[in-house]
Amino acid sequence: MKSLRTIDRRLLAACAVFIAALVLPAFVSGYGIRILNLALISAIAVIGLNFAFGYAGLITLAQAGFVGCGAYVTAILSTTVGLSPWLSIPIATIGSGLMGVIIGLPMLRLKGHYLALATLGFNVSFVIVATNWKSLMGGTDGISGIPALALSGWSLGTDHSYYYVVWAALAVATWCAWRIRNSHIGLAMIAVRDDEIATGAASVGVTRIKVQAFALSALYAGLSGALFAHMTNFVAPDDFALGHSIIYLAMLIIGGEGSILGAIAGSVIVTFMPELMRDLGTAYMIVFGGLMLLILIFLPKGLLSLTGIVAHRLRTLSR
Amino acid sequence: MSQQFIQLLVSGLAVGSVYALVGLAFIMVNEATGVVNFATGQMVAIGCFLSVSTGIQMELPLGPAYALALIGSALFGIVFYGVVFRPLQDRPVVTVIIGTVMIGIVIQNSALIAWGSVPFRPRSPFGRQVVDVFGAAISAHALFVIAVAFAMIGLLYGFIYRTAIGARMRAVAQDRDAARLMGIGVDRMFVLTWVIAGLLTGAAGILVGPMWFADVNMGDPIALKAFAAIIIGGFSSVPGAIVGGILVGLAEMLGAAYISSAYKDGLVFLVMILFLLVRPQGIFGERIGQRA
Repeated sequence: MKSLRTIDRRLLAACAVFIAALVLPAFVSGYGIRILNLALISAIAVIGLNFAFGYAGLITLAQAGFVGCGAYVTAILSTTVGLSPWLSIPIATIGSGLMGVIIGLPMLRLKGHYLALATLGFNVSFVIVATNWKSLMGGTDGISGIPALALSGWSLGTDHSYYYVVWAALAVATWCAWRIRNSHIGLAMIAVRDDEIATGAASVGVTRIKVQAFALSALYAGLSGALFAHMTNFVAPDDFALGHSIIYLAMLIIGGEGSILGAIAGSVIVTFMPELMRDLGTAYMIVFGGLMLLILIFLPKGLLSLTGIVAHRLRTLSR
Repeated sequence: MSQQFIQLLVSGLAVGSVYALVGLAFIMVNEATGVVNFATGQMVAIGCFLSVSTGIQMELPLGPAYALALIGSALFGIVFYGVVFRPLQDRPVVTVIIGTVMIGIVIQNSALIAWGSVPFRPRSPFGRQVVDVFGAAISAHALFVIAVAFAMIGLLYGFIYRTAIGARMRAVAQDRDAARLMGIGVDRMFVLTWVIAGLLTGAAGILVGPMWFADVNMGDPIALKAFAAIIIGGFSSVPGAIVGGILVGLAEMLGAAYISSAYKDGLVFLVMILFLLVRPQGIFGERIGQRA
């Protein structure tokens, strides 16, 4: 009974947040809404990362590379090929997911820091290829002139209107992630993380589950990258460098790994952190790294676990 | 052999022996403490910039300048032990990886504030002197780097395999609890491990400075090559780190000259990924099959 009630309460809270999110743009200035869009776009990639890292326990440092795959595929298809963005975004998303399968099949035999290093190698290689394949990917200049989205004559090019596109995509992504989490696939992923040998013994295909988690993670990253490309109308290799993969992991850990809400919260917090600490200038990254380290040491389950701790304290105090 | 080929060979060996030093620092820490230190590259940068401080900013003669920088690097290893390793010890691998990445970010940006974003050009003890090797003009500094790196590796080897303290370190690496039961001060061995890591990375930084520039962002590219080197060589093997480092250095130099300078780094990572997939234990294998 109790677990049912908490799920209901969570659903209610989620609904409240989403309704609040719907009316939010009315109160936010132009620059704020752009940062918010970026935060929500990152959230999609981080929800994806949660499949691989939070559920299946795969340490991947390649998420920014997959975000780049999505961004570049939609950029090339909508400029050079001339496809409509409504077509190129799904192609980029699925293409990135397929890339996840292709990369994942050989790499997921590795574990722990070996997997971390192999995925790191993929991310670094992606940036090298994007920087040097000038004819297709534009080199360091990147690809510019990526068209904005439009809906039957309505332009969705402004940050305020694009917010609703991003918001809808995030809502769908969150719902799908929630469904997958509670399906047998999600449960199998968590089982693989907790005890790989026991899961294999229970005749669950461990490799298949890992590849699924990795591919889902790449799929979400592809969607995130595609949405990013059509917002900034410009992609360049720097936006998908290894440092961004680390930021995505940081977002997930700050929010709370293994939690979809944590992924979203972490993305929003980390994206807005530089804005809040702008006065610090260059010292910002020092504070950021230090804060992350403190969270890792003292709150290994992320900031969302803080609410649980506080609630528990309050309950015991009121007794 | 053409003159150019000999030059490339020597500079590849020089760069490769720097990678070998960094790879050894990585392996020493991982073997003794089980920590995969993703801030190794930043430790190299700190070593390099300490030599900038002592050699360029304080204008000391290079001998004392290098000695001071090495001492500083060793102290930095101890600080790293206290601030990062102790709190993260015995946490899951993921936590340690992200934790050391984060401390790397802290170090890199602190260095940016301390030394600024304009790169320095550290002096070499040999200046721009050139030596004739088989008719090819070879920079004396490159030969110096190779000699110092191999001397350090030899000293390290002797220390680990020929002294009582080295035997204790190996005991801690093999079984921490059993070592503690034998009366070995495990924590002291950990400190010593970090001091050695500081010395190795510091020396790498000091040596690499005059070959390239001292730039605050220099850490990651060097660490990535060192990762590649130890994966190719074998993750926990000392000879593996040396052979892997030199292979990576040679591949980088020869690949840039004869295949493609744009894709030279891609080449290194391609080889690394191939090794991970086809021969994950590296050239020299690994004691315990933990990888797959």
